[in-house]
Amino acid sequence: MIYYLLLPFLLLLLVIVQSTILDVFTLKWISMEISLIVVIYAGFHLDAFRGSLLSLVLGFFLDCLTSAIFGLYTFLYIVIFYFSLVVAGKVYAEKPAFIASFTGLCTLLEGLTIVLLYRVFFGVDILYAIPKIFIPQAVVLGLLSPLFFHLLQRFEVLLHARDT
Amino acid sequence: MHVNPQKIPIHGTCGLLRKIVLETAAPIEDAINVSLKSLHDVWRRYLFLVGLEDENRRLRNENAALNDQINQYREGYLEGVRLRKLLDIKGDVKHRAVVARVIDKDRTALFKTLLIDKGTVEGLRVGLPVLADQGVVGRIIETAWHSSRVLLLIDDNSNIDALIQRSRTQGILQGAGSAGCHLKYISRVEDVRTGDVVLSSGLAGVFPKGLLLGVVSEVSRKEGGLFQKIDVSPAVDFGKLEEVMALVVDAGAKP
Repeated sequence: MIYYLLLPFLLLLLVIVQSTILDVFTLKWISMEISLIVVIYAGFHLDAFRGSLLSLVLGFFLDCLTSAIFGLYTFLYIVIFYFSLVVAGKVYAEKPAFIASFTGLCTLLEGLTIVLLYRVFFGVDILYAIPKIFIPQAVVLGLLSPLFFHLLQRFEVLLHARDT
Repeated sequence: MHVNPQKIPIHGTCGLLRKIVLETAAPIEDAINVSLKSLHDVWRRYLFLVGLEDENRRLRNENAALNDQINQYREGYLEGVRLRKLLDIKGDVKHRAVVARVIDKDRTALFKTLLIDKGTVEGLRVGLPVLADQGVVGRIIETAWHSSRVLLLIDDNSNIDALIQRSRTQGILQGAGSAGCHLKYISRVEDVRTGDVVLSSGLAGVFPKGLLLGVVSEVSRKEGGLFQKIDVSPAVDFGKLEEVMALVVDAGAKP
């Protein structure tokens, strides 16, 4: 129960922290999208209902606070969550190298989808963003993801202990 | 990622949920941004203060170096003044003079001597008179190649033929240690007063005639005997001597 009560507040806090504090420590052209790591973690560790709810709420908050196109992140996070869920069911997804590679891949796919959506729906060409933004971002998030996975695991244990 | 929303349709109105999220997030974001700005300001101020401390340390070092330089210049100036005074005396005397620096002073109560940095290489020898800008210092009693020891006129072993300038009365000026000197063998009938100037008489052949030795500080005729007891204050302040001048008087020549 505590999971559902805390979830909106914690996710909103995460998005706020991500868009304020973490931006201070990163370069201007790379955003520290920790929320994406959380979505992938949810795909690896949570069931479909709880994970999709988390991805939906997180995507919604991100859309509210940072996105120029409403529904973009909601859609992307739901897709990434289910992709992670499917992959987690087929392979052993606990090794740090795999987590890093998968996070990097998802970041890159997210970027490519954004570029594609912009091109198809709005006729805007942001192809330059792939080498300039998405590839460095995929590398940074990929390297950071094992650490955040470890922190999220500990947080989940703490949450379960309180819940029981 | 942040995208350029130039060609993106902008939503004019927000849904209720979106409004709630924005309303909730805005004050938190504002609080975080204010805190971050404060932290940033504190950090910048810290960096500024660190810079100030560095600058302060550098200026202190620079100040110390400049003070040191000023002291050196001041020392040089004062040395120049003292040497000029010595050179003025040198012009007055007819003998060759060797200017020397005092390199050591005998601090024992028994002997009153000092060491100078000139010796036989510069032509100095035992017995030569040594002067300062104020008057007679003493005579050389020991020489090495590049240094000499000078017996001060206040040493108990120092005896100089002297005369009182005003009355031309002659006597022997004997050292009395820290008490100064005594002018001896002056008859009780001679007219000697406090403040009389005592000069070298030139009789013994060591000191040229007319060099200032000191000033009579006290005269006493109360003691029994033939002579007066005359205390003389040396003209030279031996405690402040830094440079002296040795007169190279030719051996056998009449001073």
